[in-house]
Amino acid sequence: MKAVFAHLTGQNSRQGLWILPLIAGIVGFAWLAVSTDQFATPQNAKNLLAQAMPLIIVAIGQMMVVLLGGLDLSVGAVISFTTAILALDAPAAITIPAVFIAAIAIGFINGTTVTRLNVNPIIATLAMQMIIMGLTRLMRPVAGGEVPEVVKQLVSGAVFGVPFTVFWGLLVCLLAWKMLYGSRFGLHIFAIGGGIASGQSDAAHTFGIADKRTTLLAYIGCSCFAALAGIFLAGRIVSGDPNIGPPFTLDSVTAVAIGGTQLSGGVGSLHGTIIGALVLALLSNGMNLANVSAFVQTAIKGAVLLAVVAFQSRKKIGL
Amino acid sequence: MTSALSSPLAQRLLRIPPAYYVFGALLLTLWLTRPQLFNPNVMGIFIRQVAPLGILVLGQLLVMRVRSIDLSGAGVILLVNYIISSGLFPNGTLAFYLFMSIGIGLSVGLVNGVLVGLRRSSAVIVTLATNIILIGVVQLLASGKPPGDVPGFLRDIYNSKVLNVPSAVIIWVVLTGVLSIFLSRTVYGRYVESVGENPTAAHFSGVPVARTVVTAHLLAGVMAGLAGLVQTSSIAVGSIRFGLDLPLNAVAATILGGVIFGRGDGGVWGPFFGVMSFAMLFIVMTTFGIQEPGKLIAQGSIILIAAIFYGLRS
Repeated sequence: MKAVFAHLTGQNSRQGLWILPLIAGIVGFAWLAVSTDQFATPQNAKNLLAQAMPLIIVAIGQMMVVLLGGLDLSVGAVISFTTAILALDAPAAITIPAVFIAAIAIGFINGTTVTRLNVNPIIATLAMQMIIMGLTRLMRPVAGGEVPEVVKQLVSGAVFGVPFTVFWGLLVCLLAWKMLYGSRFGLHIFAIGGGIASGQSDAAHTFGIADKRTTLLAYIGCSCFAALAGIFLAGRIVSGDPNIGPPFTLDSVTAVAIGGTQLSGGVGSLHGTIIGALVLALLSNGMNLANVSAFVQTAIKGAVLLAVVAFQSRKKIGL
Repeated sequence: MTSALSSPLAQRLLRIPPAYYVFGALLLTLWLTRPQLFNPNVMGIFIRQVAPLGILVLGQLLVMRVRSIDLSGAGVILLVNYIISSGLFPNGTLAFYLFMSIGIGLSVGLVNGVLVGLRRSSAVIVTLATNIILIGVVQLLASGKPPGDVPGFLRDIYNSKVLNVPSAVIIWVVLTGVLSIFLSRTVYGRYVESVGENPTAAHFSGVPVARTVVTAHLLAGVMAGLAGLVQTSSIAVGSIRFGLDLPLNAVAATILGGVIFGRGDGGVWGPFFGVMSFAMLFIVMTTFGIQEPGKLIAQGSIILIAAIFYGLRS
């Protein structure tokens, strides 16, 4: 019994607590499918997927940084910045590369200040968030503008009745899977994070792993995933909006945490993060269908987060 | 660069928290460009506005010294504000509101402290979650509408002055002084220092690590409650949206003041000047007519540059 409990709560597991959120998600899904008749419809499935997709994308990027014991609070600002760039009234051939150049630059600054200049990740990315939000508001004080037709098509199009959103999901998951589980980069992330979590922040370094370079790349990757989410959102709202990004900062951390990734680093999984983001999306989708007010939704989101985190057990006290 | 940084003088200068440099530079800018603003009345009004942030920072620096963090301040402030301004207790006295604010702070701090200290959950997530819950509860109670008026006598106290200094500022300075003495003269202060320095070593030296962390969160909750009371007194009509960015600003001010997770080199007065430099930044920005986006960029750049300079020495 104790072993089963330890397995369910993800004790001593590299992947963390992801089974309980999965069960909670399935139970919630089943309950919604039985109790409300609008839930189990193709239209709602499409909505749910489209709602969850940007969060899944941001959360995957956020997870890479969290696995290294860091935190990226600038992802929300990157999303807003991306939509503002796309709505600049320029051809997509210029704005889409510009979005990624900006994301790489932001990730590079975040990563460099954290790894080379010894700045705490929370404070470095918080400062970056302020700067990027300032720039975004300079470019686009209120929502408006129009994104290129290509971007709209990329998000709302469909082939053989399968919406492009599905391909976005497959592509992003494949890319993230390759990065985390099919490359040296991913292996190094877990090695560095494991060392940081157990208090030996240079453990991976002593094994010859380029820890600073890997961390820098993780921050760049995180910003790029946020930019990708920004492109997706811009395609959905067909305009630039400075206020669309900021909620994703904390939501992405929430999704990552629900998915069993520990904020001290080293423990977490891709499927856990996807489950976490889906559970969050399911929560708001289901509560919308059940006519639960947005305010109660906020409170319930917090309570779920608190419950999940109280189940996780770790050795370190604090952050 | 490296050799210049390792000289004794540079080392000594780098050891001074960036808050003092930022505060000095901004004060100088103001003195050179707008000397007419250099009178206690104008400065008092601006500094009075950051008093709630300053009180919140006192709690933040305490939890950050024991390697934790408290992001639930916004929720506590919002709840205090809602209860006072919604007219639930129309005959409330100052003592009643004071006890209520401290009580709310203590209960939230207890939840945070137990989960972070005893259950060993991640402090970022726990305090974020309590914050979300509190905000949701307040918005639900208010059903999206702003609550009613703030009792007049709170506003009168806020507007009063003692020896030409606004009373909100006096409350802030007194609390800072009390915390400073508390941390430097009591056993608990020693516990905080040793837990921050090395929790494992502290544990094996017989320091009650978990209890120290729980107490820090309790005190942080109390400070957030008091910040809520001062913040509420500063406005005439209640609101359900204000103060949401206060916790992150409190973290920024604390780090600017030389207190980083586990290390408290800046003491209590470093973060105090961190908050003061935010006030000065606000004055300078306003007098130069810089709009909201520019303010954000300037604030972010100053925090980043200060943190980089502080990070260079270690």
